[in-house]
Amino acid sequence: MPRVPKNKQQISADPSGPTVVVSGDGDRLALAGALDIVTLAAARNSLKKWSRQGPSRSLDVAKLDSLDTPGALFLRGLRDKGVKLTGIRAEHQALLDLICELDLKPLPKVKSVPRWRQLVIQLGKGADNAWHDALDIITFVGRAASWTVNALIHPDCLRPASISRHIAETGIQALPIIGLMAVMIAVVIGYQGVAQLRPFGGEDFTINLVAVSVLREMGVLITSIMVAGRSGSAFTAEIGVMKTREEVDALKVMGIEPMQVLVVPRLIALVVTLPLLTFFADIMGLIGGAAIAQALLDVSPAQYLTRLPQVIDGSDLFVGLFKAPIFAFFIAIISCMHGLRVSGSAESVGRETTRAVVKSIFLVIVLDAFFSILFEKIGL
Amino acid sequence: MTTPATAHAKLILSARGIVNRFGKQVVHDKLSLDIVPGEIIGIAGGSGSGKSVLLKTLTGLHQPDAGEVLLNGKAVQSIGAAEKASLFGVLFQQGALFSSLSVAQNIMLPMREHMALPAEEQEQIAAMKLALAGLDADSGIKFPSALSGGMVKRAAFARALALDPKILFLDEPTSDLDPIAASGIDALIRQLNDSLGITVVIVTHDLTTLFTICGRIAVLVDRKITVDTADKLMKSDHPWIHEFFHGPRAEGAMTARKTSHGN
Repeated sequence: MPRVPKNKQQISADPSGPTVVVSGDGDRLALAGALDIVTLAAARNSLKKWSRQGPSRSLDVAKLDSLDTPGALFLRGLRDKGVKLTGIRAEHQALLDLICELDLKPLPKVKSVPRWRQLVIQLGKGADNAWHDALDIITFVGRAASWTVNALIHPDCLRPASISRHIAETGIQALPIIGLMAVMIAVVIGYQGVAQLRPFGGEDFTINLVAVSVLREMGVLITSIMVAGRSGSAFTAEIGVMKTREEVDALKVMGIEPMQVLVVPRLIALVVTLPLLTFFADIMGLIGGAAIAQALLDVSPAQYLTRLPQVIDGSDLFVGLFKAPIFAFFIAIISCMHGLRVSGSAESVGRETTRAVVKSIFLVIVLDAFFSILFEKIGL
Repeated sequence: MTTPATAHAKLILSARGIVNRFGKQVVHDKLSLDIVPGEIIGIAGGSGSGKSVLLKTLTGLHQPDAGEVLLNGKAVQSIGAAEKASLFGVLFQQGALFSSLSVAQNIMLPMREHMALPAEEQEQIAAMKLALAGLDADSGIKFPSALSGGMVKRAAFARALALDPKILFLDEPTSDLDPIAASGIDALIRQLNDSLGITVVIVTHDLTTLFTICGRIAVLVDRKITVDTADKLMKSDHPWIHEFFHGPRAEGAMTARKTSHGN
């Protein structure tokens, strides 16, 4: 059977379905058939004018075959307006009594705020949130750092099983996608380089461009963004779901510090993994560069290998790898912090995960810009 | 209050030869269950005896490996979405209220999806359902995360009643509730059954609920089902059923039954 997207008609306009019939005239009317949620609109329409006229009217409901709660509510409304209901069947009486005895109040209205005030309120809330966020991050960095140092000083507090699981999940399983992305980025930069440098006869410098930008910036940036999206979100969701299921509280009750078992292993794992992944991305980026050199510049892989040491030096590799653990630290901190901020609902898990990913990618790029300036100033 | 099943009574819901298995584990082995209109039937059984799977099978959420479920003589799997919505109301164990909607919006959702009613009318009906379930109108604008356990059950009740269903399936309606709230829910079930004539299928461990409001009890044991009134089940010589109805907790619940029947 084909799916009907809006299946309102299936019930309400079913010709064979129940109908309500109004008969009689003047002050005395009679209802027959079914008075239920389906026929309610029809009944209301036919009785609209009639029910507004003065008192001393009566409605005979003896011929009603079926009555449901919305129908009874409608009859209660008529009775409240002064209409006398006659001939109520025994089986409807109980229902009508039940509905008439209910203490009904309209749903309170949610106050609507004018658009400009909403804007001001949101601006204020946003600023307040940003301020509290900043405070939270600083506090969390402090706590996480102290627990990590504590774990490093007392190695029996380290959880090797947990750390190695997170290294496998965030590192080894991410290898294929990160390798592929690094090759692709090298290809993108290579094509742009050749196109821009060829008019000046400097297309050979494309090799320098690809190698240097992959090692210094692209390798670590692509890896960090990928890890933030892939593992950061997983951290937030894992911890968040544990929070909603009161597992975090259970840990606290058992005298186990959530920071120590949930945050520190993830933090250590990511700080170990991200530099390794970055190194892998660097290698793959250079391989992508070799492919570009072969395809666009007719430079054989062997020649490419001999040229590489001339165009890059240790500092390029160092600059890239130096940033990786710092990015890893902040990605882990922000993801875990948002995971622990989850409260109650499933919606909140989704919201915190989004925030964690957006914030960690944002912070990675801001830090990268800061490092670019810093390394320029100190001449690395 | 309730009518015992007779051979000639028209059945509202009938499950025939239901087989459910997960891997090699057989949960239900050709069990059959008939439900007559207007009765309150309790489904009891130990943990892992397949009560929830049976409930899912009866509501058409789970396709059994064999057998069929007939609703008013029609296969439950073949009933259209809108019709099903107006026939069935299900109270899920955790309430299953949509957390992104307020309580009133939760109740109005099935009306909005399946009925062409003006918004104002829907709100009136939602307020009425809230009152019916014993909640005040102010809780209508609250979100599920702001409700207590008992209020969640009541709000879920109100939502299950949204389209005036013919059958109400209740999955552990009194679990996680304090005794006062649980008795309130029991009274609510009975009141709805009395005045709306609604058929109620309750899956529960709560002996008080089983003894005080259920006309018949279906006990799931050994992959089969035994359906009878509480009095007759008490005399059963099946060890599990005997234990179930004569354990220390059952004694207390029996007292409750006597008091409630005395009234």
